[in-house]
Amino acid sequence: MLRPFEIHQPASAAEASRLRGALGEEAAFYAGGTELLLVMKEGLLRYAHLIDLKTIGGLDGIGVDATTGALCLGALATHAAIEHSPVVAERFPLLAEVERSVANVRVKNVGTLGGNLCFAEPHADPGPLFLACEATVRLEGAAGARDLPIGQFFVDAYQTARAPEEVLTQIRVPRFGPHTRGVYLRFGWHERPALGVALALTLDPGHTQVADLRVAVGGVTLRPTRLRGVEDRARGRGLDEVLASLETVGGAAAGDVRPTSDLYGSAEYKGAMVKVFVRRAFLGAAARFNGSGG
Amino acid sequence: MTFEKEIAVALEVERVWAFLWDVERVARCLPGCREARAIVPHQRYAAVVSEQVGPFKVRFPLDIRVLEADAPRRLKAEASGRDPAMGSSLRVTLDLLLEANGTGSRLVIHSEVGLAGTLATLGQGIIQQQADGIMTRFAEAMRRELEAEGRAGC
Amino acid sequence: MAPPRPVMEVALTVNGGPHVLSIEPCALLIDTLRDQLGLTGTKRSCDVQVCGACTVLVNGAPVSACTYLTYEARGKAVLTIEGLARGDEVHPVQQAFIDHAAFQCGFCTPGMILAAAALLREIPHPSVEAIAHYMRGNLCRCTGYTKILEAIQAASGAIAR
Repeated sequence: MLRPFEIHQPASAAEASRLRGALGEEAAFYAGGTELLLVMKEGLLRYAHLIDLKTIGGLDGIGVDATTGALCLGALATHAAIEHSPVVAERFPLLAEVERSVANVRVKNVGTLGGNLCFAEPHADPGPLFLACEATVRLEGAAGARDLPIGQFFVDAYQTARAPEEVLTQIRVPRFGPHTRGVYLRFGWHERPALGVALALTLDPGHTQVADLRVAVGGVTLRPTRLRGVEDRARGRGLDEVLASLETVGGAAAGDVRPTSDLYGSAEYKGAMVKVFVRRAFLGAAARFNGSGG
Repeated sequence: MTFEKEIAVALEVERVWAFLWDVERVARCLPGCREARAIVPHQRYAAVVSEQVGPFKVRFPLDIRVLEADAPRRLKAEASGRDPAMGSSLRVTLDLLLEANGTGSRLVIHSEVGLAGTLATLGQGIIQQQADGIMTRFAEAMRRELEAEGRAGC
Repeated sequence: MAPPRPVMEVALTVNGGPHVLSIEPCALLIDTLRDQLGLTGTKRSCDVQVCGACTVLVNGAPVSACTYLTYEARGKAVLTIEGLARGDEVHPVQQAFIDHAAFQCGFCTPGMILAAAALLREIPHPSVEAIAHYMRGNLCRCTGYTKILEAIQAASGAIAR
């Protein structure tokens, strides 16, 4: 059972933002509700007002920016819509793969990408992927809009850089270049991953050198985290050299994260698993250059 | 959950003890502690501790009892309380061990934190980090208070 | 006296029949279906949208009625287990569950059947992997899933005919 609340139906992000400003902490933005209603049912959060972002319209579109080729995902696009989108299948099939593995079919039909990112549960799938892709998020308030690199968006468990009156309206993912391949590995037995590793490997045109590497891990600490040490160890080196020394490359992950113990695993276990999955992710990404594994 | 923090201050044991014995003042070093007052001095105190993680807020009215006072070496106290909104209860046992240390004193803060209810089930990983952070800030706050004592007392 | 609780009117169809309901904004679909409309086939089990016992179809898509506001169903078509059969003619998925004894206590069954029906509309001839992946959010404590899997596979053949 839910404690009583009123539902507001704004027609624009600006109106939604003003409403939140006026109603204050008693109000919450409401999209799919798969996270919000759950914690409200458990009594962990109480709101007398829900501001339904779905009545704004136009925030669930999936398209491509004609100029930059970036994939533009409306924050209110559901996981299912993204999973089945022909645009995503063509431009960013890895994202469709990640969305396919989110929770269960019912949550995917109702839950939104924006809601998932804003709730910032440490064990969520999309976060690490967007981190590794260096996506940006668009936040709109009554005063205007700002674009924020996703690396600055995740602040802590259940905490993002979104100001309380700001509405997340869009996530933009830069186009992968022709020499970049991505991989997302998810590990765990429950609906939420114990940990997830997203990796984007860019090789030189000859496919012999690591031009760039971006690795992000989720579920290990309280927010999705880039593994800069791992990235630095691989960048600029020969591909074969890195493949031969994956043990060391993966081992560098230990310096990048201080794992948190929780129900999904102890800090020690998670630390060990990060190394394993970073290695596997790298191998997986490298394999995609040979045409195997597409 | 068990935590152990240690601070060293350039203050004699007796003066550190005097600070500890002012339990109200020690309670106010607890992060998120809004109020602290004596009910029966040196025996029973009341405090309210509030914390926030993202949108989640907890508020524990605490009943604090002094279990052991072995001047000037050891002070043991237990604080317990319940947040009905969160359906969770908290019990903290604080064991403060004080000894002389060359230039001053060494205070070991040994604490056991037990959380039961909804928060414990759902927030396990975060609670550990939060509690560790709280105990670290607690120790830091005590150190600052004691150093201020040291400067004032000269 | 407590302040009056807000009330709203929602128009929706349930099992093909139109309804205009007076509900509170905080009403959950499962409670509206069970208590207001007397449709108790939808079961509350885990209450945290994990087990699938409360599965209903909204515009053909499975949702967890336990964590879905009735407000969200306004203007939409809700299908519960009671609405699947046409008169005396059961849905091929229901028939397959009977033929393959794909239930024991029956508590997860309405959710299982509705999810399976939605799956087969989306993927008429799913592989075993596709069935297992789609149905992974529907939990059963009795059967061990084998018969459920068989029933869905059988139904996918039946629907082709």
